[in-house]
Amino acid sequence: MIGEFLTRLRFLVWRRKPGELDEELEFHIAQSLDRNIAAGMPPDEARRRAAVEFGSMGRAREQCHEQRPGWWLGTVAQDARYALRGFRRNPLFTFTLLATLTLGIGATTAVFSVVDRILFRPLPYAHADRIVSIGMVHSLERQEFLMEPFYFDWLDNQRPFEAIAAQGTMPHTCDLVEMNPAQLNCLSFQAGLLPLLGISPALGRNFLPEEDRPNGPRVVLISYGLWLDHFNRDPDILGRSIDIDGSPARVVGVLPKDFQFPTLQSADVIFPMALDRAEEHIANGGFGYPMRCFARLKPGVSIAQARAGMEPLYQAEERWFPAELRDQIHLRIRSLRDRETADVQSIAWILLGSVFAVLLIAGANFAGLMMARGVARKREFAVRSALGATRARLARQALTESLLLSIAGAAGGLALAQGLLAVFISIAPTGVPFLLKAHPDLRIAAFAVLLSLACGACFGLLSAWQETHAGAVSVKLATSRHRALLRRGLVVGQIAASMILLSAAALLVRSFRNVEEQNLGIRTGGVIAAKIALPAFRYNTGQKQMDFYLRLESALQRLPGIQAVTTSDSVPPGGTLGFRFSDIAAEGKPPAPPGTGGAVASRKVTPDYFRALNIPILRGRGFSGQDLSSSQAMVVLSRLLAARLFPGEDAVGKRIESVHDKTWSTVIGVAENVKNGGLMDETLPEMYTLRRNLPDDWTGHAPTVMIDSVLSETAVAPWVRSRIAAIDPTVPVAIESLSRTVSTMADRPRFETALLSFFALCGLAMAIVGLYGIVSFLATQRTQEIGVRMALGARRSDILGLIALDGVRLVAVGGGLGLLLALALTGWLKSLLYEIGPRDPVSLVAVALFLAFVALAATLVPARAAMNIDPVAALRHE
Amino acid sequence: MPPSTDLLQGTLDLLILQTLAPGPMHGWAVAQRIQQVSRHVLQIGQGSLYPALHRLEYKGWIRSGWGASENNRRARFYSLTRAGKRRLETELETWDRLSSAIALVLGREVQA
Repeated sequence: MIGEFLTRLRFLVWRRKPGELDEELEFHIAQSLDRNIAAGMPPDEARRRAAVEFGSMGRAREQCHEQRPGWWLGTVAQDARYALRGFRRNPLFTFTLLATLTLGIGATTAVFSVVDRILFRPLPYAHADRIVSIGMVHSLERQEFLMEPFYFDWLDNQRPFEAIAAQGTMPHTCDLVEMNPAQLNCLSFQAGLLPLLGISPALGRNFLPEEDRPNGPRVVLISYGLWLDHFNRDPDILGRSIDIDGSPARVVGVLPKDFQFPTLQSADVIFPMALDRAEEHIANGGFGYPMRCFARLKPGVSIAQARAGMEPLYQAEERWFPAELRDQIHLRIRSLRDRETADVQSIAWILLGSVFAVLLIAGANFAGLMMARGVARKREFAVRSALGATRARLARQALTESLLLSIAGAAGGLALAQGLLAVFISIAPTGVPFLLKAHPDLRIAAFAVLLSLACGACFGLLSAWQETHAGAVSVKLATSRHRALLRRGLVVGQIAASMILLSAAALLVRSFRNVEEQNLGIRTGGVIAAKIALPAFRYNTGQKQMDFYLRLESALQRLPGIQAVTTSDSVPPGGTLGFRFSDIAAEGKPPAPPGTGGAVASRKVTPDYFRALNIPILRGRGFSGQDLSSSQAMVVLSRLLAARLFPGEDAVGKRIESVHDKTWSTVIGVAENVKNGGLMDETLPEMYTLRRNLPDDWTGHAPTVMIDSVLSETAVAPWVRSRIAAIDPTVPVAIESLSRTVSTMADRPRFETALLSFFALCGLAMAIVGLYGIVSFLATQRTQEIGVRMALGARRSDILGLIALDGVRLVAVGGGLGLLLALALTGWLKSLLYEIGPRDPVSLVAVALFLAFVALAATLVPARAAMNIDPVAALRHE
Repeated sequence: MPPSTDLLQGTLDLLILQTLAPGPMHGWAVAQRIQQVSRHVLQIGQGSLYPALHRLEYKGWIRSGWGASENNRRARFYSLTRAGKRRLETELETWDRLSSAIALVLGREVQA
């Protein structure tokens, strides 16, 4: 076996001397001749018979050559040389082909490198496919959470998982106190989380089990970023004691550089969770605190099986929930990928789908161009086939050409992808964590090359099959009809794909305009918001926080050009903390059934809030300075909430009750509705409460200060900073104008719209090139026919109609097909659209008209050229 | 000239190997021998003979070298290699199995 292989290898290198074969064959003929003479033939006849018997010497030589292992390698090089020469002879054609391919491959690769991390690439954990997020979901909390007592229950009684570990729900701000203080994010997780994810620290070690216990030693892991930025990669960090929030903690390890929390949150310092089994049944009314739980499935257990396995445990616990909550809480187990990427998966698929449509259009153009070239080379192929080239040999030649092009296309595409990716990232919303990580690596390069080769092979074969289909004899027009049928099919496909892309883009553009032009209910111009991160360990009482903010408010009010200063716990149109409609009830009316009525937004504000944001008070009054010292609880309702609580009545002066703590508040005014659930979500009913000058009103979450001024943001921001620094120079401040905040919120729809529009225009441009190509091709094919028609009396307008009709038919079929497909597919866009249906007739009709108009223009150019043909020349046209 | 009988795929290789088994031979002689032995039923044209000889050589089953023919012309002689002898044995076994199987299917007596 090995010997055989070695022999073959030897013949790959070793070559017979060229003369030897001829000598051998001539010997054969000579022997033949001898025999014939011996049989008594005259010499001439003997020589003739011997030659006839032998047949073609050249053929024999070639067949012997073909036996040589790897002989075809030589033909590949030959084909490649030939192809390159052909490309050089026709640079414009080559450029068009390469541009088409580069655009298709580049766009697809760029999008793939983004969506790969969302949809396909394994998450950066060991056994990532078996890691799941487990817990309960609630109508107001859509990410799985688990209360501590249930966690212990599950831990003891579950069977589907080989490991379970938990982490805290939210990172909280904490302070690193030392010479160089910093505000950090702190989070806690169990010692089991890192092993569950298959991660080991870059430096040091994970928490030990005895450290992850109540009253254990105060130890921390720190992030690679903190180690790098703050500790300058100090290798002696291990064992060092750092001061977090005023008490020392010992660093035991550094997390790996690219570590990604399964919740995608970021944290600088991680404490052990130190769950207390005894404590859990007492804390928070016996429910303990919520946490995020992750588990690794046993091998071979599916998520559905795990769910079935956990259902009985969950059922047993359900009885602990208040009855009215039971319907709203569900058990959920989903893959970690879904947990991390659920909200971007649909846009990822949409982008991938649209970029593949672009790729198909590009591929069809590629094939169309190659076929057009094939027509021009009919004679060449006919000659080659007459000289004995087989169909396979001709097909191989054509294939070599398209593969050469694809390799060049892959290189160009990769370069383009890198550029496109940079553009994507520069216009991308900050909230898409996967985008920043996307960069072309080996996997992406391999994707581009494979994609390009597949394109070259597919579309190249298509044209190769066409080219060689024409036999040597039927070189003339006989095949062009047939060929055109395939090319027409391709153009119809291109038009249809463009129609789909354009429809999607048009819907997104219109939806984005709705987002941009909607009435937010607030004035954003001239308002800036300052987020102040008060260190919680120093401002640990309501009194301290209140003192800070009241001093700041009065300092800011004295600045020139300031019209109003207010604080609010959140800034519209962003989302806000809220409660359920059933949590409040109007006086004298039965409360809504528990858990019904949807959510109500709630904001705690200071008196100037309505003035600063220019929210009209429709009835009654807004909060005033006198109310600040009032002991009475007062609320302002949004128009929506007033109408729901007091339908058909004047809400002002009425009282509402908080169902849970039985406290009463008086409605003093009704304000106009304000967008309060983000830009694209429905406006919720809203309730405003007053943040009075009482320490109790200032505990908890630190508010944001909003300043309405007649001056520009750039002028006011430094003053605001200096006033804050005058009170406490160490607190970090982030200042942003409200218009900028709103614009940032529109980043994501803007990004989606821009990307899809770009693809749609690329697709359209290429489809139009394809359409133009086929119509002029058909016109050229019919030159003679046109001559005959003109000779028989056809007017020029008849000719124009004749040729244009060809194009119009293609556009009509392609456009109709595309419209049907678009109607079927745009439903996928539903989640991205704002105040516009996925089958919005206006958009679809507009797109159809636009496409028809552009396509008609592309048809008329070659049709006019055909119309102006000189009939005499046309008749003589070959 | 009697109509040439189409050879089964791969059979030509077997015939050549078998013909070369007794000793070295040039291409012309191989063709003549096969023709004689088969009583003029099998006529090997040069169109298949030389490609087959080359193929077998590339596979390492036969080797070739220049020598003098019986009428003192320079001729290329082919002889079996060791791998070629082994190959011939397996090919023969395969042939036996195949031919008796075909005979069974066709309902002919198997000739012992």
